[in-house]
Amino acid sequence: MKRHALLCAILMVCLGWAVAAAPVEVSLAYPVAVDAPITAMLKGWAQDYMAKNLDVKVNLIFSGGYPDVKTAIQTAIQGGATPPTLAVMLATDVYDLVNAKYVDSLDDLVAAAPGGAAFIKDFLPAYMGNSHYKGKLWSVPFQRSAVVLYYNADLFAASKLAPPKSWDELGKDAQALTVDGGKTRWGIEIPTENPYWTFQPLAIGAGKNVFTDDVTLNFNAPEVIDAVQFYLDLSQKYKATPPGVQVAWGSSTQNFAAGKTAMIIHTTGSLAGILKTAKFKVGVMAVPGKVAGTLASVTGGGNLYLTAGHTPAERKAAFAFAQYLLDPSRVATFSQATGYIPHRTSATATPEFKAWLVQVPQAADAFAALSSAQPELATQNLNAVKTIFNKYLQNAFNGTQTPKDAMNAAQSESDKALADYR
Amino acid sequence: MLVAPTLVFVCLFTLFPLGEVLVGSLFKHKLNIPKYQVPVFAGFGNFTDLFKDPEFLQVVTNTGIYLLALIPLLLIAALILAFLLEGKMKGLAFFRLAAFHPTVLPLVSAATIWLFFLTPGYGLWNQFLRLFGYAGPENWAGNPSLAIFALALVAFWKNVGFLMLFFLTGLQNLDRSLVEAARMDGSGGLRLVTRIILPLIRRQTLFVTTIAFIGAFQTVDHVFVLTQGGPSGTSTLPLYYLWQLRFDRMDIGRGDAVTLMLVIALLAFTVTNTLISERHEK
Repeated sequence: MKRHALLCAILMVCLGWAVAAAPVEVSLAYPVAVDAPITAMLKGWAQDYMAKNLDVKVNLIFSGGYPDVKTAIQTAIQGGATPPTLAVMLATDVYDLVNAKYVDSLDDLVAAAPGGAAFIKDFLPAYMGNSHYKGKLWSVPFQRSAVVLYYNADLFAASKLAPPKSWDELGKDAQALTVDGGKTRWGIEIPTENPYWTFQPLAIGAGKNVFTDDVTLNFNAPEVIDAVQFYLDLSQKYKATPPGVQVAWGSSTQNFAAGKTAMIIHTTGSLAGILKTAKFKVGVMAVPGKVAGTLASVTGGGNLYLTAGHTPAERKAAFAFAQYLLDPSRVATFSQATGYIPHRTSATATPEFKAWLVQVPQAADAFAALSSAQPELATQNLNAVKTIFNKYLQNAFNGTQTPKDAMNAAQSESDKALADYR
Repeated sequence: MLVAPTLVFVCLFTLFPLGEVLVGSLFKHKLNIPKYQVPVFAGFGNFTDLFKDPEFLQVVTNTGIYLLALIPLLLIAALILAFLLEGKMKGLAFFRLAAFHPTVLPLVSAATIWLFFLTPGYGLWNQFLRLFGYAGPENWAGNPSLAIFALALVAFWKNVGFLMLFFLTGLQNLDRSLVEAARMDGSGGLRLVTRIILPLIRRQTLFVTTIAFIGAFQTVDHVFVLTQGGPSGTSTLPLYYLWQLRFDRMDIGRGDAVTLMLVIALLAFTVTNTLISERHEK
């Protein structure tokens, strides 16, 4: 009997020791949405981190896009399972994610981590706009981008054209570069299958962003209606872009790299892919505004969130891994590989990043576009608002409603979708 | 006792979730709106709201167009293919493989292939249509009148070979003596098909119609890849709409109401289809 009791005691001690010694698991859900070797890079960093921190096990979960990651987190939490500890999701989803209690605040972790406050302060203010809500910090920038104008610099030089400085010049340049009514080449293409984001620089360029804060929209502001009209002018007046809703997001970069369109409005996240495939000199700049000399862009991309429902040890380990991933040199390397804009001041000061800007001047131009960028549409009940805005933008683009009627309807319906938050 | 395992699974994975959906559909429950985070009883409020919502009515219209464009064409083409590939011909195995191979592709891959085919300008689909003098809009996925047909086209290409298999099996198992007797009596061509063969493969036709109909409701991947429900919601199909409600907008109550209506619609179709077929049997 005594022997059995002793055996049990030894087993329990061993079990306790095994539990205590088991590494803390940190999982990261990441959307692979751009053409860049990101998975290999992240896997390499995870291996390196685990080699240096034997008490931590990192699992990487790759998904197709931002909606997939968000759906996976929702499904796990709603189903009573444990979601991945960290997740890269749209920065603009912050209101819905916090309201639904899917994510945890980072404040206590920042306060407790060595150099935590300095770590947060180092992020570029332009990219911290979606990180705070209800006076708390909920996420940090991870892969941030901006919408820019890509142009075929060789074609511009051959046609003796300078990069456009205003809407009028953009229309005229696009018109001059259109060949055979677009059958051979369009002057410009703007992917508008999910149009709100690529449209925003036009509205900002007209003088007003499409929203002011999380419950205030400017969809029917005269400047926004003006921007819709300019989109229509590009096809109707200048005959320089396909009429109506245009090609899919991925097709526009392929068309540009293949020389089938002279300009595209797209994300800086596509920079690496475009430079790899285009056989001509690529120019990058912010989108010209309505008034000569003005420029416009809009921020975008994903932030790193800590999901809800984890133990203090897991939260602490997750934040430490996040700090490791967002080390300045890794941010600079990540930017080089993808075209995503570095979001930390210290990352822009690294020798790697400075050397890259010299080697790839387009990256410097993409980075410069940030100075004229305003925030991406971010509201309460975001996806309902986005669906409404996209619907009426596409109505206007396809000519089923006038720009004014479409934007008035978008404003009225979206206001109803936000009524519960006012 | 023998049916116990099946009964447990049906209760666990069908009846229990269905009961939850039924109850959930009676509550306003939106996770991203603080005042509805705790479900609030709304009776049939979710259903009445849906029927007043132009977006939902658009989904119903889209679904009708999609089913009308897809199902008859799928059934006719699958049957014709089965007739063609049933007999003896040179390269039969190759043609059967060619007809069946889209079935083995995941729908996401099929939609991605068609995204390329449908590219305005140089896409193969528009080039093919131009051979017949087509001069209409080329951006099928971005055109409000064509987007739903682009989805039907992908679903047609993906599923026709699969449905053909069932007709082919039916034709191969036909009682040849009946067909020969009909031929000797002077029946041939279309008359032989409509009066003799089709009634004989009625059970296969019932099965194929049912799975084609249910399949049309179940598919959603091509909507994500090709149109994302656009432009302006003209290609939003029920499952995509359900995903939007449940995950994108976190509206659990309405999501449950749509789920329930979807289940009822599918059940009604299956039962009606079976009853009609059984009546013919008698």
